[in-house]
Amino acid sequence: MTGKLTLKKDHLTAFLRKLSKEYSLVAPLQNRHGDTLFTEIDDVDSATLDLAKQPQNSIKQFLLPQREVLCTYRCESAEAYAFTPADTALPPTVFFGVRSCDLSGVLYMDVTFLHGTSDSPYRQKRLKSILIGLNCNHPFPNCFCNATKSGPFLEDGADLQFTDIGDCFLVEVGRSQGQAIVEKWRHFFTPAEEQDVHRQYQAFLESRGSFSHIVHVDQVIKRLQGEGVPDAIWHQLSKRCQDCGGCAFICPTCTCFTITDAPLTAESGERIRSWDACTFSGFTKMAGGHNPVVRKTDAIRQRFMHKLCYDVQKHGRPSCVGCGRCVDMCFGGTDILRFINMACAGS
Amino acid sequence: MKRSPLEDYLPRPAQVVEIISENSQIKTFVLRFVDQHDNASFSYQPGQFMMVSLPHCGEAPISFSSTPADKGLIRLSVRRAGTLTTAMHGLTTGAIIGLRGPYGKPFPMEYLAQRDLLFVAGGIGLAPLSSVINSCLANPDYQGHITILYGSRTPEDIAFMGDIALWRQNQSVHCLLTVDSGSAGWQGNTGLVTTLFEQVEINPAQQSGVVCGPPLMIKAVLKALEKRGFSDKDIITTMERHMKCGVGVCRHCHLDGKLVCVDGPVFNLAQLKKLNAMEIS
Repeated sequence: MTGKLTLKKDHLTAFLRKLSKEYSLVAPLQNRHGDTLFTEIDDVDSATLDLAKQPQNSIKQFLLPQREVLCTYRCESAEAYAFTPADTALPPTVFFGVRSCDLSGVLYMDVTFLHGTSDSPYRQKRLKSILIGLNCNHPFPNCFCNATKSGPFLEDGADLQFTDIGDCFLVEVGRSQGQAIVEKWRHFFTPAEEQDVHRQYQAFLESRGSFSHIVHVDQVIKRLQGEGVPDAIWHQLSKRCQDCGGCAFICPTCTCFTITDAPLTAESGERIRSWDACTFSGFTKMAGGHNPVVRKTDAIRQRFMHKLCYDVQKHGRPSCVGCGRCVDMCFGGTDILRFINMACAGS
Repeated sequence: MKRSPLEDYLPRPAQVVEIISENSQIKTFVLRFVDQHDNASFSYQPGQFMMVSLPHCGEAPISFSSTPADKGLIRLSVRRAGTLTTAMHGLTTGAIIGLRGPYGKPFPMEYLAQRDLLFVAGGIGLAPLSSVINSCLANPDYQGHITILYGSRTPEDIAFMGDIALWRQNQSVHCLLTVDSGSAGWQGNTGLVTTLFEQVEINPAQQSGVVCGPPLMIKAVLKALEKRGFSDKDIITTMERHMKCGVGVCRHCHLDGKLVCVDGPVFNLAQLKKLNAMEIS
């Protein structure tokens, strides 16, 4: 006995159909434009599940929505100003097909929102989330999760972890909610044979050997924690950054946000939490105009220092998960791969 | 409180019971929570801050200028600087604002209670320091001597005259004022606040320096205290930054690897020297 299970690919739709009866179900779907995005599934049978391509989004937006109402307020007069909490919960939701990088991203968000503080809007959603991971057999061109140690295969963090081993998935039970699912729908699963586990190991070896980039994440971390990188690198990248925020929005671990009021009428409004980016010129600007960050030279410093130095010091690992999305996104030539290569050049 | 403001970003309504006009730019708002349970359960320490809400204006962090000894009343002194603070200056007594907190690391009050204290402030910077000063004065066990050096731009800009008058009546307090540029009739000191150092007794072995003001002023005073032999841990300041959450997640107040809202806003010079802060570099 291997302690692991298999699920026939032919049975996947039926399994997801069962899950969708009890849970809200989110998975990578191809839309009519050909884009693959994590999407809530209305109807399993008509949805086009796409487990081959890298989803363009991560599941961050479901746990930390791009725009979320934290509370509403009324202000009929100066003496009548009152707040009502908004519903920030999520129905019980299964996230299916979450690749190792994105799953690592959720574990990082847990550290940010649950361990350091206890952020109720996030916690309410995370407690209702079940993560079914998908090990990555074929890294994509800009992937480097091997260098950030967040993939291509994960051994911990998911409720259930799937690996494509040909005509079936090898299924490993992780956390307790995963155990509950396999017990409830036991008829879908068969105990895995030694050869199934061997096929998984082969897939892992092949995946590990097929990354296109060699990215020196350990080296850049060591350098940032030690002598640092020349200011000229920060200045050059800051100058080229186009202030679009795309890297932060697409990133599974960028969780900076802002809180603003959105008036609905003269006498009422919503308090909104929305995504923000540390690279934005106004991010640190204070009332009155003073800005402790000089954008021209340091716009990009916090982004890379946070991911590759401060989080290593604080949590023992970088908060870049190597998904490579920001590399595709950046049109300013200031992406994290370029930074790491510049920082490590000549060492 | 029924809900934890630390967790859900939900402000609690508080009523403005008094407004003190400190100068043309600064007003002190005396506040009380509308809900009596909030008043009963609320506690804070000097150096901490509240996130203040006004209708349609969002939130802004404001330090306490009151002391925990002022039971049931909170004082927040606000300089008119942006949208929210301008709206706040338009309020009248009886108005309701939203408050959540307290947030941030306070001044090391137990340690300061054993020391002579040299307070150096500029402008609105006296607000958080007055919370420390009045806490010490309200503490029957405090045996030290307090020196207060307060700089303003012009004689008309001198704020907190009510507090200053009380401090000047107190035997254990020495309070000196200066202005950057005097006007006709001004008999007092003129010059930067650091010039007042010549007029007071400095004793780094028994004294701690507590500093707040505009970044450039903080920078000059930290240097001056260091030069006069204060140890890095006896040079303490509190910093202002843009903040949205107050609880260490939104990251607007990042300062290298620290966040001013949870690792500060109070820092000593030993801590600041490890950071690339505009107040020292």
